Amino acid sequence: MARPAKAGRGFPVWLGLAPFGLVLVVLFAVPVLSLLKLAFGEGGFTLVHFHRMIDVPVYRSVLGTTLGIAGLVTVLAVLASYPLAYVMATVGPRARSLLMLLVLLPFWTSALVRTTAWIILLQSNGVVNALLMGSGLTTTPTAFIYNLSGVLIGMTHVLMPFIVLPLYAAFSNLELSTVQAAESLGAGPITVFRRIILPLTAPGVVAGGMIVFMNAIGFYLTPALMGGPGQTMIAQMIASNINTELNWPFAAALATVLLVATVTMLALFQRFFGLERLIEGGGGKAGEPFTVTSRGRSPGGWAAIVAACLVGAFLIAPIIIVFPMSLGSSPFLAFPPDSYSLTWYENFFGTTKWVAALTRSLQIAGLVVAISVVLGTLAALGVARMRPRWRSTVETIFILPMIVPVIILAVGLYYLLAPTGLVGSIWGVTLGHVVLATPYVFITVRAALKSFDGNLEFAALGLGASWATMFRRVMLPSIAPGIAAGAVFAFITSFDDVIIALFLTNIRSRTLPKLMYEGVAHEIDPTIIAASCLIILVTVLVLGGNLLLTKRKTT
Amino acid sequence: MNISALGKAVSIQSLGKSYGSTRALDGVSLNIAAGEFCTLLGASGSGKTTLLKTIAGFETYETGQILVDGVDVGPMPVSKRNIGMVFQNYALFPHMSVRRNVAFGLEMRRLAAKEIENRVDEVLALVDLTAYAERLPRQLSGGQQQRVALARALVIRPDILLMDEPLGALDKNLRQSIQLELKRLHAAVGATVVYVTHDQEEALFLSDRIALMDKGRIVQASTPRGLYEKPANRFVASFLGECNFIPSDGQEIAIRPEKLRVGRDLPGCDKKLEGHVTAVNFIGRGFRVMLDHRGAELAAEVDASDEIAALRVGTPVAFGFRSTDAMDIASI
Ligand SMILES: Nc1ncnc2c1ncn2[C@@H]1O[C@H](COP(=O)(O)OP(=O)(O)OP(=O)(O)O)[C@@H](O)[C@H]1O
Ligand SMILES: [Mg+2]
Repeated sequence: MARPAKAGRGFPVWLGLAPFGLVLVVLFAVPVLSLLKLAFGEGGFTLVHFHRMIDVPVYRSVLGTTLGIAGLVTVLAVLASYPLAYVMATVGPRARSLLMLLVLLPFWTSALVRTTAWIILLQSNGVVNALLMGSGLTTTPTAFIYNLSGVLIGMTHVLMPFIVLPLYAAFSNLELSTVQAAESLGAGPITVFRRIILPLTAPGVVAGGMIVFMNAIGFYLTPALMGGPGQTMIAQMIASNINTELNWPFAAALATVLLVATVTMLALFQRFFGLERLIEGGGGKAGEPFTVTSRGRSPGGWAAIVAACLVGAFLIAPIIIVFPMSLGSSPFLAFPPDSYSLTWYENFFGTTKWVAALTRSLQIAGLVVAISVVLGTLAALGVARMRPRWRSTVETIFILPMIVPVIILAVGLYYLLAPTGLVGSIWGVTLGHVVLATPYVFITVRAALKSFDGNLEFAALGLGASWATMFRRVMLPSIAPGIAAGAVFAFITSFDDVIIALFLTNIRSRTLPKLMYEGVAHEIDPTIIAASCLIILVTVLVLGGNLLLTKRKTT
Repeated sequence: MNISALGKAVSIQSLGKSYGSTRALDGVSLNIAAGEFCTLLGASGSGKTTLLKTIAGFETYETGQILVDGVDVGPMPVSKRNIGMVFQNYALFPHMSVRRNVAFGLEMRRLAAKEIENRVDEVLALVDLTAYAERLPRQLSGGQQQRVALARALVIRPDILLMDEPLGALDKNLRQSIQLELKRLHAAVGATVVYVTHDQEEALFLSDRIALMDKGRIVQASTPRGLYEKPANRFVASFLGECNFIPSDGQEIAIRPEKLRVGRDLPGCDKKLEGHVTAVNFIGRGFRVMLDHRGAELAAEVDASDEIAALRVGTPVAFGFRSTDAMDIASI
């Protein structure tokens, strides 16, 4: 059979696609499909589990709660993002980078650490209540958590970047002259916002809002730890049907509903915006970007600044609070601590279970980075060389594990792997993390390959280099930053994960986040705060190391 | 349509503005009569846009004031100034049709729907865009977008119409046809126009008056002929058109290339001098002869003739001019 000349020499497409493809089939498609099969009846086809979801009021209300909370979080995230994105677009570059950091930091902080910090801040004897009562604003503690407000706070906090980033891009694509034209025609600040800024930034907001909603319906940790019984969401229902009621078919039916909802959102998103938007940023622009001139801001502009400061404080508060707290010496969580010591760090490193969990987490993350970097890079190379016709389909399949709620993967893998005994070792959780982490490597390497000049490849091959030599000497050095970034993502994905670990580890194989989760769910021991700080530190070190390396590369 | 009654006089008084250490406006004073077409001309960075933006109210200034019809507009927000503004990149609202773009300013003035429709139709007819009313800006050519921007600014019957290099993005043919259109429109509506360009020919063609700017100052403001024929100084003389400076008795005589004659008999010339030919080029309407006169490089533009065509580089030649054609300029 004749093959096109280009593909004839060098790297075969199948070699790139097959390994990750195989992993996806065995560790993603099979578990998810077995859940579907379970949901529709193992013996014969039945819809009884789905009927039960509608008929039993508790389950019906959980579905309603899930949609309601996801909707509220989306609205809150949009409202909080507007002032922040506006300010980011109109301040100097320094302040802008600072705000960007504020937005991205929660994103990069493990869900568990964030949640722990919020609990410390908001619980009835927590920091915020202490401040409120100390200043005489309230006399009795306000219940911020273990109710709806707790869930909304926790979820909005982490999902905001998905809206702030596209909104900021929309603001910076806005041209100053467009706004000035409206002003010159007689539009005041409110009209300018309503008739010009709002419609022109709406597509970015809608895109971001869909991603937030899609993410929110699958949330597990935050509602479990910061909500009350009234805020039970579908993911918790899946977990409790497996862990306490042992009703696998019904859990599978719930997972099916969640899966269908997520995939529908994804399809809508792809239909309206195209999936590239998830991966890449916006395009170029012509005129002077929207900014504030010497005339200064309108009162509305100043109000936005104040609002943005509040939002900024909201974003950063839980992350900065944990450091001083971890250095306190009393077992009671007070802020600021009465005296400082390293007691809790000593406690952490002096207790076998903590040290063992930390070691195991690092081990697992190391394995995950090694495996997913190979799989992801091969997959990216394969996709880059395949015919355009099927490329976008394969791309979508390869990033699916990022989009499907983690709880579905966790439950599916648990169902598949429980009989094998892998759950007791580190391999069960490692395999789960590989499925989650490889898409990140795939995306970063794919982006690096897109900016790699294909002519260099042909030049090297033309000079007589074999494909392997060309890859090692020409291509690899130029895509190395992409691979490194992917490795960082993979590390953090594994090191921060709780949900996979919750299902795929037991007392002998538990990871650091799982151990912390067990603690947070019962009572917060200050050692957990020390552990949180260690996690943040490791994350910052890994991110910073990567940043330094790429800086050095480019300069 | 008649806006002449609405066009207002603008008086700019010793305006000063800095961006950090850059002195963008350095004591600018300019009086523009009602209905006048006044052009700000100057090199890049001379402060034209800055002056326009302060008149519009997009930027503040540190010293001086701007009076429109005798009223200080300094504290007035842009939206209350009743100005029409045409931007270099047109700044059409990308999410609105041509009709909605043009209607925007009228909606801000809370006119009745019927009246808005009538006035939009009227102005779209004026700029010959009736057939494009329902299109979005990105579905129009550059020249059409330009005319939408103009219609949108005109329809509100502005006190002042401000235009910042509105033709800068168009090709030469289109520029010329829109220049004609602009002139026609100005004659028809008679608004006070402040127009920015760095194209001299455009300025000469369009303007009632030209204010030549340099380094944040107005060097000279005059009618196109006044500026060309009576430049106040060397800078003006050489910025607008070309100018020769002939050394004579420790002084300099300024004279335009087309006023120089070259050849044996110099009809009508009361000043006659000698030089060497350094270049002779045919430029269509005649010849351009470059001369060396006591170390000074001079250019002369003369009608085609066999005598000129026969000139050889390096040969001596006589040239001259009418002393009434020499321009009286300050030697700075
Ligand atoms: N926003 C700004 N910040 C700082 N400096 C500015 C700003 N706008 C203009 N300037 C400076 O002010 C001076 C005048 O600029 P202006 O834009 O008015 O020039 P211009 O005559 O319109 O030039 P051009 O023909 O290139 O448009 C320049 O030196 C410019 O660098
Ligand atoms: Mg300018």
